[in-house]
Amino acid sequence: MISSVGNNDNSVNFNGSLGRFANKARQSFYDAIKNHVVNEGGDRFYKFAGDKISSAEVRLILGCTALMSQPFIDFHNHKQDEKTRKVSVCRTVAKIIAGTTTGFIVRKGAIKFIQACSKYPVEKFPKWRTIFTPKNILNMSERDLRNHQNDIGTWISLGVMLFTNFLIDAPLTKFLTNIFTAKAIKNPQNKEMRGEA
Amino acid sequence: MKLNFFAKLANMYSKDPGKMLLHTGTIGWILSCAAQTIAIATNDKIDKKQKAYLIPQEIFDGLVNIFSFYILTRTFKDVFLKLVSTGKFTNKTIMKFLEKNNLTNKIGKMDFNIEKLANYSEIEPEYRAFKDGVGVVSSTIGSIISCNLLTPVLRNKLANAPSRALRAEMDKMDKEKEIQTQTPAKPYDYYKSSMASYRNHSGGMRI
Repeated sequence: MISSVGNNDNSVNFNGSLGRFANKARQSFYDAIKNHVVNEGGDRFYKFAGDKISSAEVRLILGCTALMSQPFIDFHNHKQDEKTRKVSVCRTVAKIIAGTTTGFIVRKGAIKFIQACSKYPVEKFPKWRTIFTPKNILNMSERDLRNHQNDIGTWISLGVMLFTNFLIDAPLTKFLTNIFTAKAIKNPQNKEMRGEA
Repeated sequence: MKLNFFAKLANMYSKDPGKMLLHTGTIGWILSCAAQTIAIATNDKIDKKQKAYLIPQEIFDGLVNIFSFYILTRTFKDVFLKLVSTGKFTNKTIMKFLEKNNLTNKIGKMDFNIEKLANYSEIEPEYRAFKDGVGVVSSTIGSIISCNLLTPVLRNKLANAPSRALRAEMDKMDKEKEIQTQTPAKPYDYYKSSMASYRNHSGGMRI
């Protein structure tokens, strides 16, 4: 049914009557969206994002926005009693802090490491500084090289995080959860929650 | 055998690096979820009644995250990139290029792709800078919606049912224990214990 699947241009074309219907539906969806030409400010913003934001910064943005939304969602889950909701909020905050800190540091560190090890193969750099240099570096634009460094750095960081999840994230989340929970339930009004009533 | 596996893996992912990122990310989520679940289960400072909610919550967090990422984040990003490649969402320089080449009537058509134009190289640096930015911004917004809004709402809703069932089971077991402790000892046990107390204190009896 699928005649072509292009991962780079995001186009999937379908054949057959069902496929024609799917293509029409997709075309109608895109037709419903108005054409938009961004102004100069918007253009600068998008170019800045493409140039400066790597997966590490995205992780940081996700962590900050998670702190602004997830604890409130957990606290308003009224199907659970108050103590459970408080513990849940404490654990969520702890998990976000631990995950974002570790995720950002590991990603940033891995990208910096790849940048340091993918230099142009010239004499002033020792050999180890070119171990991640792509073979076709001379034909690559600055943007291509930066994307290559970010991609390899992100892959390496994901590999590293398979271990840091167990070694750092989870123990740090547990440690912070216990601190936050003790403080949240320490409030004199919460005697009942501590089982002292 | 091992070399064959790695060669196949390298061949599969080198053609589509984005796929590797997604698959590694998914494995990462699964392992993170496993690590966090173990951390909750082994945390002595959390009451078992809270654990009955936090463990299902964490498991559903991992599952919903994976599905919402594949369904929402990717779709969000793909739609925006399609809008850029068909010229529907663009900047002034790219629009001028399209106008100069009399391509404005093709804007928004599914089969139109700026990257496939014969003179694409003229606009490539400008187009790629813009497209990369739109890709980053759209995938970040998609991730915020899926990971920080949709996932917590859904995971809480999904975790409520099993946590209630587990808690009901725990309450039932607690009640049974309570009943057992409240039941008076058998007559013979009672006789034995009372006699022992008399025996121990018989020195103080004025008999």
